[in-house]
Amino acid sequence: MSVKIILFGRLADIAGDSVSVDNVADTDSLVDSLNKRYPQLATTKYVIAVDKQVVTKNTVLNKKSMVALLPPFSGG
Amino acid sequence: MKERKPKNIFVQGPIAASFIADSIQKHSSKIDIGGHSIFLGQVRADKIDGKEVTSIEYTAYEDMALERMYTIREDIFKKYDLTCMHVYHSLGIVKAGEISLFVFTSSAHRKAAIDACEETVERLKAELPVWGKELLTDETYHWKENPQTP
Repeated sequence: MSVKIILFGRLADIAGDSVSVDNVADTDSLVDSLNKRYPQLATTKYVIAVDKQVVTKNTVLNKKSMVALLPPFSGG
Repeated sequence: MKERKPKNIFVQGPIAASFIADSIQKHSSKIDIGGHSIFLGQVRADKIDGKEVTSIEYTAYEDMALERMYTIREDIFKKYDLTCMHVYHSLGIVKAGEISLFVFTSSAHRKAAIDACEETVERLKAELPVWGKELLTDETYHWKENPQTP
């Protein structure tokens, strides 16, 4: 299964605004796959949002999942 | 009247002083209000490695930010006896000295407005997926980070 993810802030500087990742079933495997492709991501702080909710545990993805990688916020 | 519908908080570019003045003026018809509290966030010319911040370019995950803001608004209205609340946040470039955040709470008595305003500012800085790219004098940039974001 291929999942499209969107990236923001400094993460977009590293990997672009959006990336498609093949053969990922959950957020842990997504992170593994991204870290292989973009080693800089492995050392960058971020949280993952699935369907606009921040997830803190490994989360199962489906092809409709909206996945976003969010670096530390700096609004205001 | 409490506001329940989700609304857009984002405005392109800086928030003009005249817009803030108009917002205040609009409340003159709400004569049950006894106090307003306003927070204005202004872009600061921080020094970073000897370079100065000339402006901040804001981006956001807008859909998620508006959902989060809706939740914050609901929580604040449950906790404080507010008459109304208005929040505006800039996107795009805001120069040093210009306003990028406008939070405006109103209530019958001052304490609710003051406390709600402060809590709303703290929560939105920590919870809204918004990013500020600090543009520096030498045309490099630095990603700003708020304390206590996830």
